[in-house]
Amino acid sequence: MSVAGGAAAEKRGVMPQSIAKKDHLFSYLLIIVFMGLLGLWIKGIDIETGRQQAGVIIFSLGFVMLSAYVLAQLVRFFNLPMLTGYIFAGIIAGPYISGFLTIEMVDRLRLIDDLALSFIALMAGGELRLSLIAQRGKSIILSIIFVTALVIGLVMGCIISMGHYFNVTSGFNFISLLIFSILIGVICVARSPSSAIAVIKECEAKGPFTGMILAVTVVTDVLIIIIFTIAMSLSKILLKGGSVIQLTEISGLMLETLASLVIGVVLGQVISFYMDRIRRDFLLFLLFVAFAVARLSIGFNHLMEVQYDISLHLEPLLICMSAGFFIQNFSRFGTYFLESLDKMSLPIYALFFSIAGASLNFDSLILCWPLAIIIVAARMIGLFGGSWLSGIISHDPSVFNRNAWMTYVTQAGVSIGLAQIAARQFPEIGIHLYTVVLAIIAINQIIGPIIFKLALNNVGESSDSSTLN
Amino acid sequence: MKIFFAFLLIIFLVFSGYHLSFRKLRLPLFAHKFYLTGLEFLFLGLLLGPQFLNILDVKTCGALAPVTALLLGWIGMLFGFQFEFSILRRFPRVYFLAGLLESLLTLLVVFGGIYFTLPFILTISEHMRIVISMVLASAAACTAQTGLAMFSVGKIGANQSIIKILRYLSSVDGLVAMLALMPVFIFFPRSTDIAASRFVFGYDIFIAVIIFVAFLILYNLFLVYRREQSELALIIIGMVIFISGFSSVMNFSPLLSNFFMGVCLVNLTTEKEKIFNTLVSIEKPVYLLLLVFLGSAWHLQSFWVLAYAGGYFVFRFAGKMIGGFSISLLGPKMKEYPPGLGLGLIGQGGLSLAILYDFQQGFQSEIVDMVVGIALISISYFDLVCPSLVGRLLKKGE
Repeated sequence: MSVAGGAAAEKRGVMPQSIAKKDHLFSYLLIIVFMGLLGLWIKGIDIETGRQQAGVIIFSLGFVMLSAYVLAQLVRFFNLPMLTGYIFAGIIAGPYISGFLTIEMVDRLRLIDDLALSFIALMAGGELRLSLIAQRGKSIILSIIFVTALVIGLVMGCIISMGHYFNVTSGFNFISLLIFSILIGVICVARSPSSAIAVIKECEAKGPFTGMILAVTVVTDVLIIIIFTIAMSLSKILLKGGSVIQLTEISGLMLETLASLVIGVVLGQVISFYMDRIRRDFLLFLLFVAFAVARLSIGFNHLMEVQYDISLHLEPLLICMSAGFFIQNFSRFGTYFLESLDKMSLPIYALFFSIAGASLNFDSLILCWPLAIIIVAARMIGLFGGSWLSGIISHDPSVFNRNAWMTYVTQAGVSIGLAQIAARQFPEIGIHLYTVVLAIIAINQIIGPIIFKLALNNVGESSDSSTLN
Repeated sequence: MKIFFAFLLIIFLVFSGYHLSFRKLRLPLFAHKFYLTGLEFLFLGLLLGPQFLNILDVKTCGALAPVTALLLGWIGMLFGFQFEFSILRRFPRVYFLAGLLESLLTLLVVFGGIYFTLPFILTISEHMRIVISMVLASAAACTAQTGLAMFSVGKIGANQSIIKILRYLSSVDGLVAMLALMPVFIFFPRSTDIAASRFVFGYDIFIAVIIFVAFLILYNLFLVYRREQSELALIIIGMVIFISGFSSVMNFSPLLSNFFMGVCLVNLTTEKEKIFNTLVSIEKPVYLLLLVFLGSAWHLQSFWVLAYAGGYFVFRFAGKMIGGFSISLLGPKMKEYPPGLGLGLIGQGGLSLAILYDFQQGFQSEIVDMVVGIALISISYFDLVCPSLVGRLLKKGE
């Protein structure tokens, strides 16, 4: 090619759809067989040197990426979202099924995870259009208020009334149970903007419903940190007595959130400048930005704690969403920005969600599945009730009201982060709380994307439903 | 934390420098040559490495192993894509033979020179002596086209035929380098028992062939149906990492594995245009990242290394000149070209650096670090003088 240019691509004949699908299925199954055999071969080799150990990690990374892609294609035969395939690939490759990816390997792939999350957050922010938010502002605000109140209330009610029936919580006194229920209730409000954006992009969904649910999901993710801090303060009061919520904590948190948003705006301006003046290799520049945000936030947080003994955390997710939002709504490059992000979305999603799948903790699910299922059910009822009620008041179409709750079910990393903070602050209930949250997330992350796609189809805003219409 | 900050810094430097390196700049001539080759990234890597700032320490580079495996695999596969037989067949066969001969002669001269002088510099075992000599000879056999980039369209226009042959030779001479690198990873596992080594060698070859065929089938299964560009990118990235990881576990070379895969793919698959476009789309950042990683592993123990690098420079220069002269005698077609054709083949480039880094990853030791460091200094010499020498050749050709 470098010598005299390449040859033209060969043309293919068109095959009838049904025959083509069957052949695809066969080739994917063969791929799985080959990859499985190669994986088993690697497992049988004695790893003696550091280079070989590194080789196993590298091999696993490639294995996970490719198997995530293949499984995603396979689940499409059942009309499930590709996200489900990525997650299943991670679960199967993960420490609880095949054991191919150990817990240690999953930890060592955190670099990819952080990078991908920042990138996805840029995309999520970029999908939020100010015009749409302005149009449906009332629906968005009411939805957040009602869903938050109902989810917290119902989850708390279930735990308090039924807590003594479950092994995990039967040993708690009333105060501990109350604190447990408050914190779980608040954590249950958290969503997964990354899952939301992944399903929306896959379905090529567009419209008022899509815009609304994305706005609700993203804004909830911003507010949940504040709500969680209030819940933590309240829990501390219950545990240790006293009557005053520490305003300094809340104001500190507001400052963190504001700082993250402002930094995001500045970042958005930098990216816009780059698109205006340079534009070349924009994809790689975005990767750099996503990575820079993820890592510099951690560095800043660490610096504040170690050097100044101040707890001031920047949220990479907020920074990137804010940057994406700025570019979409306050620069000329929103369309180009999103088109560029789309080009690299597939490898990023495949890696991110397969690692998420491998990180799902099934030990926790086995330990406390009855309680987890009850909480998941209560949460779903709260999601439905809150979104339906807000929709009625806002005079939204009834199809929106019936289906919106299905898009709020997915949960991921934010919830785990909150659970970890709670576990550290309340050690007497911490491990039980963390276990239950992991179990809830495992369920929600599996069923969430499936019913999300269903909701988009029901409302008629996904490309699949448009084609059918 | 350091790991990720280091990676961040690398990406930023690579990116900011990319545009500096590969655009036309009005700089003093020395600086222009310096920036044109991307050498500043080598020095930036050195700055970040354990010798100075220690941001890219050994642990950090170890944690970034998946990235380096991807870089090596990417370069290997891209180079493999040069060997599309249907395209190569369009050129006179004598050109191909000339490329191989020139490269082989360079390899032999450099191998001989290093093999016989190495005991005076280092106290090493016989098998490491052969390994080091072979690797440095392989790196020497490659040619880069960076020197040609310095010249104006007018200058090039007057020497079309010479430029054409130089480009062709620099595209194919790396084949000899890659084939010469193979024995390094195959013949020298770790055993000193000859009989056991032979058995292990035979068994390893058999297994390697089986596994290579399995990877090739896997690639073809992925490519049997037309894929979107984004899907293709995911497949290629995944497969390059997959193969590189497997190679590392088998104590083989990710560069070579992906090179052979590239050769097979370009000749067997119908998606070669799309694959090539994907590979080329991030070629430059990959190359610059490689420079940074190499620079971070660059060890400068004493000023004597400058002299040793001078020796390597002399051997390679001699090899290229002998090779260039010899091929000018290869029949009437080659007699059109000046005997000093070797002057145009002096530039060393990405493939040489990839070979050195692959060697460093595969045979980690202080001696290897020192040897690679010496080679890097020599490569810097070559890249700086290359444009002048090419200019001299073109002047002769006018």
